[in-house]
Amino acid sequence: MAEISIDDGRLIVEIEGLSRVWALKKRLSIPLTHVRGATADPGIVREPKGFRAPGTHFPGLIVAGTFHIGGERVFWDVRDASKAVVVELTDERYARLIVQVSDPRAAVALIERAKLPS
Amino acid sequence: MRSAARLFAGRSYDGTSIDDLVTHLGLHRNSLYKTFGSKRGLYLAALRWSLEHEVAPLIERVAEAAGPAEALRAALGPPDGGGGLDLLLLAAVERAPEDAEVAELVARTLAALDEAAGGSAPEPGTEPPADAHTSDDGLAVALSAAIIGLRIRTRSGAPGADVDRACAALAHRVGHH
Repeated sequence: MAEISIDDGRLIVEIEGLSRVWALKKRLSIPLTHVRGATADPGIVREPKGFRAPGTHFPGLIVAGTFHIGGERVFWDVRDASKAVVVELTDERYARLIVQVSDPRAAVALIERAKLPS
Repeated sequence: MRSAARLFAGRSYDGTSIDDLVTHLGLHRNSLYKTFGSKRGLYLAALRWSLEHEVAPLIERVAEAAGPAEALRAALGPPDGGGGLDLLLLAAVERAPEDAEVAELVARTLAALDEAAGGSAPEPGTEPPADAHTSDDGLAVALSAAIIGLRIRTRSGAPGADVDRACAALAHRVGHH
């Protein structure tokens, strides 16, 4: 599970609980200018994930850590597919983050609103 | 973009999942994210496509119409009975209240529709009223509201959305005022 917030023009993704262990990450901080958008997407967990390095992958149970697919690096932290949110990035180490949040709709709205010109 | 616009116009923004988009557009999921950044990014592209390729030609037909009744027919008759307005109308009620970029696109398009409706010439044989300018502005808004209202009623399948009857009534009323 991840907690998403916005702080001083940056997207902050805090990895919570045991996910820290599986994903081998505690916190990601990304400038909003490098965030292209966010989408609630439960169906993405059925997609091929590529190979894992480093992190944990028990198919059907835990997907957490860095995965490599199609020449891209993708960060996964999802146990409950219905709460998966995809955050597309540019000019970052990861091409996208796929994380589980408590309220996908609110998380997407938070990111999309933060990206709108004020 | 046409397929995406049809999908969003038929199922709404919230009702269209990424699974729906991947299945109907034949896109790979990663390509969708790489190209559009998000579902919202794809939606904005589809909405802009619809405004340019469906709504703008409809607005042109309204602007060229000879009088309000003809403008109604031009908007809601062939080729698609006003179906090209559907994504705009859904965007106005579903997305515009919470998305400033959608709100701006909707407002700009409705203003263009008002202007086109105001530009349609009076019915042949009718005298322009003394306060022509004010009346024309009011009539333009009433006419674009009638176009939108009739399209909503047709789409909902509700009875009473007879465009020909509405055109005849409008021609009759405008001709007598």
